[in-house]
Amino acid sequence: MLKHKLSWYRGWVPYVMLIPTVIGLLIFRLGPLLGSLAISFTDLNMLTPATFVGLANYKEMFQNPSFIQTAENTFLFSLVYVVGVMVLGLGLALVLNRKAKGIGFFRAAFYSPVVTSAVAVGIVWSWILSPRLGILNQLLSALGLNEVYWLGDPKLALYVVAIIQVWKMSGYYMILFLAGLKDIPDTIQEAAIVDGANGRQRFFRVTLPLLSPTTFFVLNVAIIDSFKNFELIYAMTKGGPQNATNTLVYDIYINGFIHFRLGYASAVSYFLLACVAVITIINFIFKKRWVKHQY
Amino acid sequence: MKHRSCRLSALVLLGLCASLFSAGADAKNITLQYWSWDSSVKKQNEEIIAKFEAENPGVKVELTTLETTEYWVKLRLLANQGKLPDIFNMSSGYLEEWAKAGFVKDLTKDIQDDLDKETFYMNTLDVGRDIAGTGKYCALPYALVTTVLFYNKDMFDKAGIAYPDKNWTWDDFRKAAKKLTIVKDGKVEQYGFWFFGRYTNVESWIFANNGNLVDQATHTYKPDANAIEAMKFLCDLVTKDKVAPAKKEMGAYRYQDVFPQGVAAMWVDGSWFIDNNRTIIGDKFKWDIAEVPVGPHGDGKTAYGWPDFVALSPNSPNSAMAWKFAKFVCGQGVSIDMYMAGKIPTYKPLTESPAFLEKDKQPANKGLLITQVQQKTLKTSYTQGWSEWRGYGPAENLGLNGIIDAIIDGGMTFDEGMKKADVNINAILKRYYK
Repeated sequence: MLKHKLSWYRGWVPYVMLIPTVIGLLIFRLGPLLGSLAISFTDLNMLTPATFVGLANYKEMFQNPSFIQTAENTFLFSLVYVVGVMVLGLGLALVLNRKAKGIGFFRAAFYSPVVTSAVAVGIVWSWILSPRLGILNQLLSALGLNEVYWLGDPKLALYVVAIIQVWKMSGYYMILFLAGLKDIPDTIQEAAIVDGANGRQRFFRVTLPLLSPTTFFVLNVAIIDSFKNFELIYAMTKGGPQNATNTLVYDIYINGFIHFRLGYASAVSYFLLACVAVITIINFIFKKRWVKHQY
Repeated sequence: MKHRSCRLSALVLLGLCASLFSAGADAKNITLQYWSWDSSVKKQNEEIIAKFEAENPGVKVELTTLETTEYWVKLRLLANQGKLPDIFNMSSGYLEEWAKAGFVKDLTKDIQDDLDKETFYMNTLDVGRDIAGTGKYCALPYALVTTVLFYNKDMFDKAGIAYPDKNWTWDDFRKAAKKLTIVKDGKVEQYGFWFFGRYTNVESWIFANNGNLVDQATHTYKPDANAIEAMKFLCDLVTKDKVAPAKKEMGAYRYQDVFPQGVAAMWVDGSWFIDNNRTIIGDKFKWDIAEVPVGPHGDGKTAYGWPDFVALSPNSPNSAMAWKFAKFVCGQGVSIDMYMAGKIPTYKPLTESPAFLEKDKQPANKGLLITQVQQKTLKTSYTQGWSEWRGYGPAENLGLNGIIDAIIDGGMTFDEGMKKADVNINAILKRYYK
């Protein structure tokens, strides 16, 4: 019966089916990627004819102290974000991985910031954190403490924005971890209990190792996600104060679409791409040391 | 007979040619593309177009209105492809770049031969010519924007201080700001003044002190002694006199809301904020506008002011009609409700009409704006790459803006800030003026 239905099948059919996707990828992904590489060697500003400038944009990038600070900001933001979402996402998943009345409500509640507009989140948090009128500083004043310039202090601002991004996105990683936890067979946990393992031992010796494929996936997604930190910075700090929250993505936006320095912005994009690629490759190299598959 | 018929044919041909050429501005079935960056006046623009179309049968004007950021990206793409709209809004901040790249039509001849100079403030056109840096008129201004000192009359009355006038010196201003600053239990309840690194907040004082930030001849950032004096005066108001808040303290407010919310008694910014003030203040307190106080080296004859323009595509097939529409959209076609209550129409009959003064509304001294455009020499600091080195829009926390904010926030000393500005800004300008 099945054989009859697939009588039209030929070896080349899958390749034909793939053509629309491949064309789409070539035109809308690979094309712009290569185009951007070419642009990074020019002084394109969308107005005057572009001229070839060789490595001038890359040279300018590395000689510019504010770019070095921007790159450092990006990695610091990434570190806080990746650690934050992984710890908080896993913690929430562990707490919510149970059958209890109303658990669906809590899962939805923790997930809701993920689907809330980042600009709206940024505006609301700016109010909460604002000096003079912000509820957080009013709370500190009530406790007899000095007000803190959460977004106005260059030593604090980047961490604050990164933590808000962690708050916003943890629900997404919670869902990924929840899916991973559901995949761990109950029989293994039960066997560990029979063997006399306590809760802590079960978490570190059973749950975490068996969750490692999910953790690996989450780590990679979180790292890539951490570099896409535009909206909150746009809504809350616009790269300030004193360049303290300017990150590579925001720098690309400013140079590309405000100053129309598309050549330079493309060079920064390629630096960012190289950073993400290197980190991802390192992750895959070390993967076999700690990722354990069940099957 | 043959000769006669030849002559007749030549005459017919000549007649045809003449009628074709004379069609020019009155040609039928012309469609003009008009691009605007201001969605808040879309309705008014549509009304202008309706009037223009009624006066010019056969002419259709298609309006495209975009938000500012999107506007410039799309306009640049069109310029690059040689498909610019016939007429489009042009900013003082970009005029030089566009003029030098040849993407705006040279209007010098049109303005000289076909503009009623009695009905336009010609000094606003001259500012545009100077900004373009080509010695030519490359755009027609429809509005002038300038800066003024906003002050809270109720706070002045309460403190027993006379209202500011054109004779106010910086010392008078500082003394008033001190009296207007109210501290209770160690906390400032009311500031005398509010400013941060924003261009309108700073350059207004520099020009009032006869200073300059940029050497226009060499295209370098070279603030003269008067400019440095003005910036130091402003920064000291925060760091020494404590009569104005640091930028970081005002994080709860949009910058344009600090004064209308009654947090500070005085503020210098663009005259177009009259509308915002009216909306937020309502009847809560009385306020007015005055000239920016003249600095110790100022002569009282200079003001910070720049126009908003319409420009014409150099490749428009309907350039004669586009010019006719440009005159209309900057002149007799405009209405006072397009000017945010504080932008000044460059069309004299509108500015000098009783409607502009809005006697039944605050500020009472709105006539000051007419004085600014009629009597002052207008100066700007625009260069190519201005938004980058000055720190504007989404980059407002960077550039010179960010440096001045850092000084008043205590992140660096004034001298450190000035050194950093010198290095950073000249590196940027060097890229634009190779």
